[in-house]
Amino acid sequence: MQSQSKAIASIDPSLVHEERLTTLRQQMEFLNTIGKRFVAANDRFQVHRALLATLKELYHLTACSVLLEGDPIELTFTLSVIPCYPLSESFIHTMIERIARAAEVMGFTGITEEELAILAYFDAPDDIAPFVETFEPASSGATHIGDCLNIPLTVENRIIGVLSLFDEHQDTFDTDSLQLTTMIADYAAVALENVSLREREMALLRDAVLERQRLELVIGSMAEGLLITNEKGAITSLNSSAQRLLAQTDLTLPPDTLVPLRTLAQQHEARWIADLAAVVDQALSGKIVMNQEVIVGGAEDAVPLTFSISAAPLYDPNAARSVLLGVVAVIDDITSHKQIDKLKDEFVSIVSHELRTPLTAIKGYTQHLIRRIERRLREQRQSQPPQATQSTQGSPLVQAAPELPESYDLRSLNIVQSQTEHLERLVNDILDLSRVQQGELQLEYSSFYLADVLAECVRQAQISAEQHTILLDIETFDSRVVADKARISQVIGNILDNAIKFSPQGRQVIVKLQEREDDYLVSISDQGIGVNPDHFDHIFERFYRVRNTASRQYSGIGMGLYVAKVIVDAHEGRIWLTSNPGTGSTFYFILPRTPRTSTLQTL
Amino acid sequence: MQAIRTIDERVTPFLGKATTRVLVQGAARRIAVSYPFLHFLEKMPYTAVNPSVVREQLGGVPHELLAAGLDALLQECFAGLKELTGDLIVPPLHEEITRQLERLP
Repeated sequence: MQSQSKAIASIDPSLVHEERLTTLRQQMEFLNTIGKRFVAANDRFQVHRALLATLKELYHLTACSVLLEGDPIELTFTLSVIPCYPLSESFIHTMIERIARAAEVMGFTGITEEELAILAYFDAPDDIAPFVETFEPASSGATHIGDCLNIPLTVENRIIGVLSLFDEHQDTFDTDSLQLTTMIADYAAVALENVSLREREMALLRDAVLERQRLELVIGSMAEGLLITNEKGAITSLNSSAQRLLAQTDLTLPPDTLVPLRTLAQQHEARWIADLAAVVDQALSGKIVMNQEVIVGGAEDAVPLTFSISAAPLYDPNAARSVLLGVVAVIDDITSHKQIDKLKDEFVSIVSHELRTPLTAIKGYTQHLIRRIERRLREQRQSQPPQATQSTQGSPLVQAAPELPESYDLRSLNIVQSQTEHLERLVNDILDLSRVQQGELQLEYSSFYLADVLAECVRQAQISAEQHTILLDIETFDSRVVADKARISQVIGNILDNAIKFSPQGRQVIVKLQEREDDYLVSISDQGIGVNPDHFDHIFERFYRVRNTASRQYSGIGMGLYVAKVIVDAHEGRIWLTSNPGTGSTFYFILPRTPRTSTLQTL
Repeated sequence: MQAIRTIDERVTPFLGKATTRVLVQGAARRIAVSYPFLHFLEKMPYTAVNPSVVREQLGGVPHELLAAGLDALLQECFAGLKELTGDLIVPPLHEEITRQLERLP
């Protein structure tokens, strides 16, 4: 070809120029044609068709093959054999052998000739497919390989496979067309990579659709209502449970309009919509709201419809910085729980009242008996002169009067009285719980000395806790406060009861009073089993009981500290504890000298 | 290394840039048992080989052994190239490289 060109050049330079232009145009048209073929290919079979059609324009070839690396980590490969006409078994065998060797040269390790033979997929053109599928080559089928060419399939400097060309004739492939063949291989490589990416994209899309369906199924079958808003706080979607819950209310969502909940709240009289909007707004500000109770029903309902709403901000996971998309809120109808709670509170209230009547009688008669026995004892002691005896050394020895049977009775009655008071405190706690639930706990303020109340509480507690030593440490001269004396006494009694209950016998309980600038600090320390810090946040909750091996033996209903906290909070004080498991606890409470607000505290 | 660069220059127009790299890495792998000091070429592209890498990797290798190893590497590169393109590229390239090596002092 080059010698021909030189001959033409010596004849006429303008003709050479024209011929070069023609050749260039032809090459461009060829490249354009093959480019279109490969771009139009939607799957790997169409790429194979495009490849075969293009190669057949260049060569008379028998077959070609495409070995592609699938997952480089799992070492998966695909091998497509694309024959131009039927092939003999020996031809195919030699093809596979040559492909395996080329694969090794290209660094595709871990793949053997046998594996390639199993992997090989015959993608024959339609006209010869029946012959190929039956593996019965026609008599004219190719029997041996005369020439072979292996071109790496490269995408962005990365080898993704090998294109192999085979012909039964010798010297089919030449250096002149090698560069063009490489170009075709590049087109094919890009087309195959695109197909692979598209397949992966489709697989991801299928997975995403499946995941979405699964999620919709889960959300749809949730008993709780799920509500999603946009970044402005307008409801964008609701699951069926949420629709059912909202249908029970007077809220009608405007159709197809994205009105923020806070705007809806301004248009509605119902208070609960404003509460819901407030929860959503909190979440929109980045906070996570947990179990916010929203009363939906009216005051005329015995138990109003009540929702528990939790909400969390929803961020765009793909954004580099946190971009708020909206809020996800979960709505739970807790009306039935409220009904149960109400029934329970009513039951507890009734039982407490019923218990209180006999307790009052027991307490009254016990006090009466104590006074009688004390009087009798006084009379007997006055009528009995002290007995004197002679010691062994001859000196007179004053001997105490023998203990009278009434003394034992008095001690027993004191214990009965102390335990009755303990029982009374328990019943009062239960009653107070009912009052707190119903918002009826009231404080009756009076002026008294806190040190006196502490001393009386310690005296009472010591009577029934003979094995413990309760020490009182008053570090102030003045302890006058304006507070509800009975309630403060109840707080001290409840904490003392716990301190004694959870301390081994023989240990000390120290009650201390300290004066501060505007208030008093009372601390009650024991040497008991202590409290794990994990329980600190819950120990003042109602019915909360620390459950572990050490506390299993102690009885209680988990209400004393709850009531104590309610009372201290009502006095605008503060209650807390410090503790180390095994070494004991110290409960503190602060009581203001006078109420910070002058009005009667009503809870 | 100069010879391998010549192979690269001749092969790239036909088979692309990545091919020479893979050819050299494959050749290094196949001769690794006989010439383990060339093992580093399996992981490192030959284009990244510079005098400091040569000193570090091949510093203690006797000259004769090094020459034999590099010759084996070259022959394996040719063998690999022959496996891919038959006699289309290898014979003239082999001749060119031989001449080039003969000119070396």
